[in-house]
Order: sequence, then structure tokens, then C-alpha cells
Amino acid sequence: MKRLAGRLGTGLVAAGIATAIWVPSLHFFFTRPAVEFRAPTGLSTKARQLANRHLELWRDPKLRDGELKRMRASNAEWDFMGRSFLVWSLANIGLRDPAEKTVCLETMDRIIDETLRLEKQEGMCFFLMSYAKPSSYVVQPARSLFLDGEVALMLAARRLLEEKPEYKPLLAERVSLMATGLRGATDLVLESYPNECWMFDHCVALAALRAADHLDRSDHSALIRNWIAMAKQKLVHPESGLLVASFTARGKPLDGPEGSTLWFVCHCLQVLDDDFARDQYERARKELGEITAGFAYAHEWPRSWNGSPDIDSGPIIPVFDISAGSSGLAFIGASAFQDEEFLASLAATLDFAAFPSRRGQRLKYCASNQVGDAALLYAATLGPLWEKLKTQGAR
Amino acid sequence: MNDTNQPRKSRWWSAEFFSAKDFCRHGVLILLAFAGIHLLGLRESTSVLNGTTGAVNMNPDNAVLLGVLYVLLYLAAILLVPIFFITAGLLMLWEKFLASRRTPT
Repeated sequence: MKRLAGRLGTGLVAAGIATAIWVPSLHFFFTRPAVEFRAPTGLSTKARQLANRHLELWRDPKLRDGELKRMRASNAEWDFMGRSFLVWSLANIGLRDPAEKTVCLETMDRIIDETLRLEKQEGMCFFLMSYAKPSSYVVQPARSLFLDGEVALMLAARRLLEEKPEYKPLLAERVSLMATGLRGATDLVLESYPNECWMFDHCVALAALRAADHLDRSDHSALIRNWIAMAKQKLVHPESGLLVASFTARGKPLDGPEGSTLWFVCHCLQVLDDDFARDQYERARKELGEITAGFAYAHEWPRSWNGSPDIDSGPIIPVFDISAGSSGLAFIGASAFQDEEFLASLAATLDFAAFPSRRGQRLKYCASNQVGDAALLYAATLGPLWEKLKTQGAR
Repeated sequence: MNDTNQPRKSRWWSAEFFSAKDFCRHGVLILLAFAGIHLLGLRESTSVLNGTTGAVNMNPDNAVLLGVLYVLLYLAAILLVPIFFITAGLLMLWEKFLASRRTPT
């Protein structure tokens, strides 16, 4: 008995020392410099491999159908957002690597044309969650800013890579609908779902207006300025200083700040109000970003807000309070603001916990899905598209 | 026949609880279990982490179960196994140290 107790004691001490050695060392096996995720120029190997996988999906209808079916079973929005992130990524890829431009343009056109066809054929609810009923929208006829904003930014991204005259009136139509809608609304907000407006969708829509100004010499700068002023005044969570995720059609906050919204919102703000974008990113990084034992992840909510897990946050991993949705989109924030330490540590977590699967020159993450991988691809390629909007002014 | 084989088997397999060999044995067992589940292609089932199933034709409950099983065995293989092997190494060093103190020079 005494011998067993002695062995237990020695074993526990040795296991404690082994844990203290191994846990802090583990990240060394996964951490690579941030440039291996997002190269300053050209394409990183990871970005190229992720892109290859997506291009394969759009070349092989059977493979694509399987992937989309799986996502649509959980959330029809993901089908749509997977298309948006991929189109925006392909625009950046085409700008980064001119050798890829032709393939990028062909794929972008295929995605945009099919998305517009499905929207027209099946109605706006095809890409929305089941609770979206056109008759329940406050503003009639019902439109979803979620769809209009992302479609507009897809069309603009395609035209920023290379002009396509057929898309000019399509972009102008969406821009006019959004701008007229926002100006006509009492509180400068538009619905994505019945009496539900989202910060993410508004910032995408405003970035699309900025892109349209660049392409077509229109001027929505006053509308953008007024919207930012309204958001700063009415849509900021007082305790954290972060923008809230959703609000009613009267501009009354619903959800508080959410990581699954904020990281991308910060990125969109870069072409709308750079100082405000930086302020929001720094706050989000402080309130939501975390690095533990060399691995980075993100919370969905700041400590001052109690939210409930939903389809956007993804499952919340207890103890560390890790949100899959927020952590995935944190890549976009870290990449956009060149937060190298955070980006490298997020990439370490990705390779450690998202189960990469490589086949030939193609990469996917098994713990992710098409929309998740498309968002990662966007984070790995972003830059040139926004640079055009920020530095060149009107074309 | 059985009698001659038995001691050999037990020598290979048996280990005192919490001994260096015991830690190594558990480490190897976990690695074998993980290798088995990995070779069965269950890495795909980890898509349950984002709320989608690995395969559309699979019962969602089974998909969750398989995904969680893969994640747990992966974490055990990558976190526990190295800890077990380091522990075993430390215990062996400790035993060696004790033995050297017991042996008169």
C-alpha cells in the first residue's frame, strides 16, 4: 500500500512536470510566421491551396452540390455568404496574381450569374433563414439588405478586377435601392430580416456604395458620413464602446456587440472611416481576442454583455469561451489590420484544432465548411481590393 | 501450450499502475485508437464543430457522436500522449537516480 502511494505521488509529480513542459511548448509545432498565411504580395501557399479547393468546387457540380446541401441543412445564409466571400477573395487573388486573373474572372461570373438566377427564380428567401417571411417586413415591398449589400459588393469586386459592362446596370440598380432606402428610412437603417437590421449588412452595403462611387463616379460620401455619425451616436454599446450587432427597423439595439459581426465590420469601416475602423478593431482585439499558450481565439461577446449562442456564434467551447464564428472572422480583422502576432497565433490554432485536410494542392479544414473556408481565403488574400478604394479615389 | 505462452504475454503487457511502463502503455493505446479512427476517415466528421454534418446521408446524431469521438481522441493523442511519454521518461530517470543512490560505490 505504502509502495503504491509512493508510486502515485511520484507519478503525479512527474505528470505535473510533463504537463508544464508540454502545454506551453505545443504551439511551437503549429506556429508559423503570419506571412505564411497572408503574403504581403502574391499569394501564400495556404491561400493558393484554399483557392484550389474552392475552384474545384465550382468546377465540379456534384462536389459543390454535396457541400452546399450540407450547409443549407443548417443555414441557407451560409450558401450565399460562401459565394460572397469567394467572389471577394477571387477579386483579390486576381489583383495579387495576374496569372490567375482569367480563372478568377470566369469563376466570379459563374458564381454571380448563378446567384442572381437563384435569387430571381426562388425569391429572396432562398438565401435567408426560414423565419424571413416577406409579408412580415416593416418596410414594404420587402427587401433584405443582407442580399442587396453582398450582391452589390460582389458585382463591384468583379468590375474592380476588370470592367464588365453587363454588370454596370445591375450594380447601379442595387446601389440605388440601398441608397434610396437608407435615405428614406427615419433612422438610416434597413432590414435584413423582418424588423431585424444587422451592422454587418449595413457596413457591407456602405462599402459597396463606396466601391460604386469609385467605379461609376457617383457620390454617396454624405450618406456614408451621416450613417457613421448615426451609428456612433445610437449603435455603440456604452460599456465596451463596440458597435452592436443588430437593431430594429427604428434603430433600437437588439443584440450587443458580437465577434461574428465585429471583425468584418472593422474591415469594412476601413474604406468608410479609417480612424473609427482602427478604434473598433483595437477595442475588439482587447475585448474579444485572446492568446493562451501561443494559440489565439476569439470570444463572441465582451465581458460586459451576456449573449446566447446562435447560428452566427457557432458552438461556444466552455472554460475558454471560444466562439467558432468569432474566431473564424477574427482572421479577417487580424489580417486587415496587419496584427501579425494575433494572425500567426490564430493560424496556429487553425492548424491545431480545425483539422486541415490536404489532397494534392488543395486544402480544406474539416472542422470548417465552405463558408468558413471562404472567409479564411478572404483573410488570406484581402488587401488589393480595399487599397484600390482607399488610395485611388474616383476612377 | 497455453501455459508456456502466458508468462511471455503478461511480461509484455503487464505494468505496475502509474509506473513508467504504464504511462507508455496508455500512450501507445491512445495512439492506436486514434490511428484507427483516423484511417476510418472520421476526420471529416469534425464538421459538427461548425454545425454541419460530415455527410448528408448520415444520421445527425451519429455524425455528432463520431465527430466528438474523433476530436476527443485527437486531443488525447496530441495532448495526453506526449505528456504520458515525458512522464514515463521522468519516472525512468527518477528510478535510475534512486537505483544509483542505493548501489554502493
